[in-house]
Amino acid sequence: MKHANQKLSSFYAWLLAIPALVLIGLIVVFPIFYTGYISLTNMNIFNWFTFRIVGFRNYFNALFLFDSGFLTALFVTVLWTVLNMIFQLVIAFTMASLLNIEKLKYRKVYKTLLMFPWAMPGYVSILLWKNGMFNSQFGLLNQWLERLGLEPVRWLANDVSAFVSSMVVNLWLALPFMIMIIDGALQSIDRSYYESALIEGASWLKRSISLTIPAIKPIIGPAVIITIFTTFKQFDVIYLLTQQVGSKTGARIHTVLTYAYENAFVTNNYGYSSAISMIIFALLLGFSLSARYLSKGENE
Amino acid sequence: MKKLERIGLFILNIFFITVCFGVMVPILYAFSVSLNAGNSILGSDFSFIPRAFTLNNYRAVLFDQPVLLWLGNTVILAVSSVTISMLVAVPGAFSLSRLKFRGRKHIVKGLILLYSFPAILSMFAIYRLLSPLGLINTKIGLIIIYVGTMAIFGLLNLKGYFDSIPGEIEEAAGIDGANTFQKITLIMLPLAKPALIVTGMMVLIYVWNEYIYAITFMTGQSNYTLAAGLYSLQATEMSGSWPVFAAASLVVSLPILVIFFAIQKYMVSGLTAGGVKM
Repeated sequence: MKHANQKLSSFYAWLLAIPALVLIGLIVVFPIFYTGYISLTNMNIFNWFTFRIVGFRNYFNALFLFDSGFLTALFVTVLWTVLNMIFQLVIAFTMASLLNIEKLKYRKVYKTLLMFPWAMPGYVSILLWKNGMFNSQFGLLNQWLERLGLEPVRWLANDVSAFVSSMVVNLWLALPFMIMIIDGALQSIDRSYYESALIEGASWLKRSISLTIPAIKPIIGPAVIITIFTTFKQFDVIYLLTQQVGSKTGARIHTVLTYAYENAFVTNNYGYSSAISMIIFALLLGFSLSARYLSKGENE
Repeated sequence: MKKLERIGLFILNIFFITVCFGVMVPILYAFSVSLNAGNSILGSDFSFIPRAFTLNNYRAVLFDQPVLLWLGNTVILAVSSVTISMLVAVPGAFSLSRLKFRGRKHIVKGLILLYSFPAILSMFAIYRLLSPLGLINTKIGLIIIYVGTMAIFGLLNLKGYFDSIPGEIEEAAGIDGANTFQKITLIMLPLAKPALIVTGMMVLIYVWNEYIYAITFMTGQSNYTLAAGLYSLQATEMSGSWPVFAAASLVVSLPILVIFFAIQKYMVSGLTAGGVKM
């Protein structure tokens, strides 16, 4: 009797989960396998139907041909992720610490205003930055330069200034989340912790390094890991600022994601682009497994 | 000492006012341009408070451009996607959270790993799969994509919340003779209301803000969503429909701003859904 019951409840469990799992299978899992299959072919715009299997040639081209552009894109992506994370953590920690100074009255107002970049639809903000701030004709930045008597700058036209501009926009978008996470963590620290440190006359920097940061580390850990992933996977900022189809700005910076996108939808190298996608997926799986492994080790 | 503290606080307030203003500049600038009559944006005498006030740009957005049509498309996509997402995610998450069955742990682990996969990478494969089915350039195609993409988020987010609700209440209901359906509808759903609202709103925000599938899979202005339409309205380096674009940007953002600030305190848990315990 018990056995039959168990079978029935197992059947129910599957029945309830199946619709969601089928959808995920169709839209997430199957396309990944299909991408894997395309990556082994020479499919492109001329071979839409007449493609054939070429083995691992696309992977070889991506990884070992120096001028393929993929390794450069990977390097740029890593640089992008590292720089963004450093700036994000330092700025967010400073801002959150300042917001938590005890007698600050209008904290709530400031917090609400600081949340705006997060609340706005991301692509709208990026387009507003592109058309409002960076535009070389009527952008606000160039209006300011003009007022100072300086020559206008084409912010998005060369690689370095486009990279820096993209980073500014990305920080603008991402900082509110990080500030809020660190702010929440700071508020959860027991105040009595500090009192002895204060009595001993430890400076703010010293307290931060030896007390605050170790105390908030486990709390902000998961959010930081997730942010590392979203930064690595950031597509919208660089794509919308510099390489929209039909209005490229001249800069040629690629992250791995914009690189894969360009090879699929602009130059129509489907096989090659799929190989790139699979390599990125393998990298992300690797990161995510090792992040889990590391965080597990820390908890035990 | 007191005086020193007051000066410190004063400087701190000045600092925050400056930072907040700096952060808001792109939005304030768009706002001011959208309300400004005349061409003063091209001169160097720009100010954040418009000299000559006009609502013409907003009128142009609403009546000269097919924005209302795009709004209609977006609303249809958003409502359908949210409804279907919830219909599949709620029972699925209940099953993963409450019912013991073989393979459950593996499914959850698999979902967490898949969650790190950027949807944009398989866009071409999805295009090639949907195209023989005649689902390219249709709303149904986009709805399937949106629901499938957000299903993992929905499952993990709701499962995380269901896990935090103690099981004793349902057990008691089970003793009183409630079946699984009744346990979900009469006990779980009322308790999980905040999580349901947040999950639904996150799907809504995702659909509202999604542009890359919408511009790649949909052709023809009449099929555009708000995001795709706004994308097409952008001013290029040379042409100057920038005031209209600024007005449109703010109109499109307004509903999302309202939703965001209404559910703000839940947003963090929503964004860290991938971090649920296995």
